[in-house]
Amino acid sequence: MKIKYLPHTADIRMSIEGETLQNLFKAGVKGMANLLKENTCELTHKFNSKTRIKTCSLDYTNLLIDFLSDVLTYTYTNKTIYCKINILSLEKYKIVADVFGIETNDFDEEIKAVTYHEAEVIKNKNNLWETCIIFDI
Amino acid sequence: MKKVKKSDINKLKDYFWEIPMSFREDMKVPARVLAVKSLLDDIIEDRSLNQLVNVATLPGIQKASLVMPDVHEGYGFPIGGVAATRYPDGVISPGGIGYDINCGVRLLTSILKIDDVRDKIEELSKEMYAQIPSGMGKGGDIILTEEQMNQVLTKGAEWAIDNGYGIQEDLAYIENKGRLIEADPSMVSEMAKKRGTDQLGTIGSGNHFVEVDYVDEIYNEDIAKAYGLEKGQLVVLIHTGSRGLGHQVATDNIRVMMNAMAKYDIKLKDRELACVPFNSKEGQNYFKAMCAAANYAWCNREVISWEVRKAWKTIFGESGGHLKLLYDIAHNIAKIETYNINGKEQKVIVHRKGATRAFGPGFEALPEAYRQVGQPVIIPGSMGTCSYVLAGTEKSKDITFGSCCHGAGRRLSRTAAKKQVNAPVLKETLKEQGIYVEAGSFKGIAEEAPIAYKDVNLVVETVHASSVAQKVAKLKPVAVIKG
Repeated sequence: MKIKYLPHTADIRMSIEGETLQNLFKAGVKGMANLLKENTCELTHKFNSKTRIKTCSLDYTNLLIDFLSDVLTYTYTNKTIYCKINILSLEKYKIVADVFGIETNDFDEEIKAVTYHEAEVIKNKNNLWETCIIFDI
Repeated sequence: MKKVKKSDINKLKDYFWEIPMSFREDMKVPARVLAVKSLLDDIIEDRSLNQLVNVATLPGIQKASLVMPDVHEGYGFPIGGVAATRYPDGVISPGGIGYDINCGVRLLTSILKIDDVRDKIEELSKEMYAQIPSGMGKGGDIILTEEQMNQVLTKGAEWAIDNGYGIQEDLAYIENKGRLIEADPSMVSEMAKKRGTDQLGTIGSGNHFVEVDYVDEIYNEDIAKAYGLEKGQLVVLIHTGSRGLGHQVATDNIRVMMNAMAKYDIKLKDRELACVPFNSKEGQNYFKAMCAAANYAWCNREVISWEVRKAWKTIFGESGGHLKLLYDIAHNIAKIETYNINGKEQKVIVHRKGATRAFGPGFEALPEAYRQVGQPVIIPGSMGTCSYVLAGTEKSKDITFGSCCHGAGRRLSRTAAKKQVNAPVLKETLKEQGIYVEAGSFKGIAEEAPIAYKDVNLVVETVHASSVAQKVAKLKPVAVIKG
């Protein structure tokens, strides 16, 4: 699982990679959490908030973006940074997952939205799942 | 996808450039750029012009897709973009409005002169920072009930006034009097409402701010007089939008449109341009929700003005006088407007994403005092540089669908800005220059440093020289409150 942050004039461009589709979703959640509050997930071992999220979309690209948008919505409504994800099912093109996080009132970054711009979930030449995600901040 | 190069761009006039329809076969109209040559050289560096070309493919787009001189790369539409689509069957695209629906600016004028109160500015900046909740995801003191939320979404700025958080006389000086009547709160999701419950009266983070400026220079005495501006006068500039509620409205509706596009046989190069015909069920639902979010933003800026007025009174007492609203205008919004296109009067859906309406003299909806001189256009620069007050012109209707720039426009990424700027040093340097910055974090100061932005003077020179708007006054900051 790889997470990289790349240059963008006004927003944040994140590139993620995973050995499996599940890992790509995990990388998405982790990468977004790290933007919301740097290192919180690394420093937290006990989570005090759990939310079940069910998302369905047109394809895997939209599914990932829509799922992360749902996580972001719960981040703000529950004032929680979600670090860990337990995927209960992931199939064409639906996901059911429990996300675990830590409640906080203190964010490093206010992400307005997870956008579809430049997103494309594909298997690369190294047989790894990858996509780029632009966050509107 | 091939990147736009210099050789793909034709010069139409000084300050006006065109990427012709021959650049890409799916373009329905040309793509046009309003910029001086040196700004164009900067603009071409990022992907904003490719995004502008994508906008030129939207179903029902009229005349040209346009960007203002402060353009920079966004997602879907570029920031600083304007697109007008045919009413009622052309598309509406939430990406052409942005996630921060009705992000906008308002300017309050005072009776005080900087030279009389310079020694009180630091104290004022601290008081304002204490009064105005700012920062990431921060809530304010007003917690709306479900019924109150629906009233805010329906009535906009009027709700603040009815509930003791605003002033009746402000309404006449807000675009659309602070209320879009097409708003329907039932089109706003429960999640969006939940996100907005405690955010009225908050500025958020990013490039949002409250700033105290003084009038440094007057360019047009007559218009400045009509706007109530004079040299040395202290003014307050507020920049924020609809906060989490607006972000959620956009997110919800882009998802709906993404699923509905196939039904309308719409295929796009960029998913973020998701759109549906304006007169479709999905198009109408979004428009009504967008109007509701716009109303929330106007109410938000009215409540923030109330907080600013409280801080003002605390520091200056009765001698500080009354802070009068000069104007409040949106720069992320869609409006139904009428233009002469190919010799025919035509209704269009004008998308402005990081662009300000700039209507000229004679516009009936303007307050009486401004009707002869044109609509105020407020252009915030970056902290430490300067901002401008302009006046809209009649000519803007022919060139840019009555639109103008909205700020300086970013040129450096936030990461690059953080690498190049030592925030504590910048804060001290600005203080030495008489600019007091109060911010939630040094990171926020570094990301919004003047070096991160284009030269606002060049941006304003472009719109002035092209007659899209005319310069009225230059403002210089003395206190900046950021999230």
